[in-house]
Amino acid sequence: MSAVGRVKLQGIVKRHGNVTALHGVDLEIAPGEFFALLGPSGSGKTTTLRILAGLENANEGRVHVDGADVTDVEPGERDVAMVFQSYALYPHMTVYDNIAFPLRMVGTAKSAIDSAVREAAAKVRIDHLLARRPGQLSGGQQQRCALARAIVRKPRLFLLDEPLSNLDAKLRLETRVELRKLQRSLDVTTVYVTHDQEEAMTIADRMAIFMEGRIVQVGTPDEVYARPASVDVAGFIGNPPMNLLPGRIAADRLHIGDHMVALGRDLGAEREVTVGLRPAALRAGPTGLPAKIDLIEHLGDTKLVICRAGESMVKMRVDKAASFRDGDDIRIGFDPGEIHLFERQSGRRL
Amino acid sequence: MSRRALRALLLLAGASVLLAVWAFPILWGLLTSLKTERDVLAYPPKLIFEPTLANYREVLFGSASILPNLWSSLVVTGITTILTMLLAVPAAYALARLDLPGKRSGGFYVLATQMLPPVGLIIPYFLVLQRVGWLDTYQGMIAIYLTFSLPFAIWLMVSYLEDVPREMEEAALLDRAGRIRTLLYVILPQVRGGIAVTTIFVFLNAWNEFLFAVVLGGNRVRTVNVAMFNFISVEQTLWARLAAAAMIAMAPVIILGLLAQRHIVKGLTVGAVKGGGRR
Repeated sequence: MSAVGRVKLQGIVKRHGNVTALHGVDLEIAPGEFFALLGPSGSGKTTTLRILAGLENANEGRVHVDGADVTDVEPGERDVAMVFQSYALYPHMTVYDNIAFPLRMVGTAKSAIDSAVREAAAKVRIDHLLARRPGQLSGGQQQRCALARAIVRKPRLFLLDEPLSNLDAKLRLETRVELRKLQRSLDVTTVYVTHDQEEAMTIADRMAIFMEGRIVQVGTPDEVYARPASVDVAGFIGNPPMNLLPGRIAADRLHIGDHMVALGRDLGAEREVTVGLRPAALRAGPTGLPAKIDLIEHLGDTKLVICRAGESMVKMRVDKAASFRDGDDIRIGFDPGEIHLFERQSGRRL
Repeated sequence: MSRRALRALLLLAGASVLLAVWAFPILWGLLTSLKTERDVLAYPPKLIFEPTLANYREVLFGSASILPNLWSSLVVTGITTILTMLLAVPAAYALARLDLPGKRSGGFYVLATQMLPPVGLIIPYFLVLQRVGWLDTYQGMIAIYLTFSLPFAIWLMVSYLEDVPREMEEAALLDRAGRIRTLLYVILPQVRGGIAVTTIFVFLNAWNEFLFAVVLGGNRVRTVNVAMFNFISVEQTLWARLAAAAMIAMAPVIILGLLAQRHIVKGLTVGAVKGGGRR
């Protein structure tokens, strides 16, 4: 693990006029970590990244990198490199000059620039394209060029703003893997902004989930998946995300409509809750929540059975061999251990 | 005849008519410049005549040579253009990018100065120049020319600079280029088309300016336009010489125009389509 690239954000508040984009964000990122900022659009993740880069100033709060307060340090002096969503390549320069630009700006010797550019280009496999201009590259190649420009000067922080969102689906999956390998080989702290929960789940060591200008949960992908901290997170993570049904608890019993489940633990006074159930944790059985099948989606190795239980829609992931037909009446079974419960009002996990 | 061919033919006819309207005065001027003064006044106009270069010889090397006036025009226009661009590009960059207080009202003021009819400014300008003793001097003319060329150039450059993606600039800042080098190495190369167009329009406006030149200059600084005006006098108008001088005065503008034709057409449509005016 590398020793540099420790990030600490303290109470970051960002206002755009009357709109508050960030309501006090606290975050710590360990050296060498691949950290994802995940959230729907407008949740403040990109603003957080830009404040970390120094491209925007926070109205309140401090930014620390490696123990030093960099809140008022110019972006160029922070020793961070960024890959923009649009790549922001310099269109009038060749790929070589694009990659060489950050080194030239700090007066690196010509011979050192040449070897560094070739090394960075080789790492992202565009060393055969150095003489071209960005306009003559495919989207994937442009993205690699932007990556090369970012890694060439070996920054202590590597910031990526939705770097894969302009690639087609297949390329996105490939690049995701390569990005992860690249980060491992460079061993540089990486902060990665994405709205794609699957991307964050597969690529990140840890992630922070943003909702409406606040971080609602920080954790490893496993933790976030296993124990979403709120209804919002539960409804955002997983593909498809958790089913969320209205329910009521009283002591150790959960009622979903007329269906009753024994929870095996006492949760106190009777109140309204939201019940979260992962599609993959459900199965059709002789007992359980009564439902009627609306539609079956074939996903190749599995099927997604979409059914209606009372007022709610429930998605259930089943083996492709399972034989269901539209309109079938079934009963949906699940283990009590697979139940996620959230307070109805606050959305907080119980 | 197919509809397609008919359509092409009609378009060609329409274009020819329009082109004729545009080209006629210039062709007429060119023909006039090659006639003797007697042929110019012949009625009906002579289409077949013996061309002569005497008028050109006269206006270039004769007693009323316009060469000094061409030089005056070149000095006034050249320095105006250079100063305008040196000041307008940074100003436009600031207006396009930086969050400055009063940016909006400042931007409007820049445009508002373009709305005043120049003739309304003649007297104040005259008085100001008289007071500082700059009447009929190069510095006085250039100062006055800057008052109309700068707002125009700033306004045009702002629209080009706004088309450069902000992220590109941010990338350069993160690459430690700093503001100045970001402007020089990243922003300006991308608006070089816009700079070319703006330079040409500024040059054109200054080169063709007549009103200020005749009132605020006239003796020591007499631009070619003013000199041409002197071919028109109470007793007679020397049409052929006037035409020859006009043809010569047009030359630099035409050469510039041809050099930057591609950019000019794009410049005219700037802002029409998002990103349409870029490069």
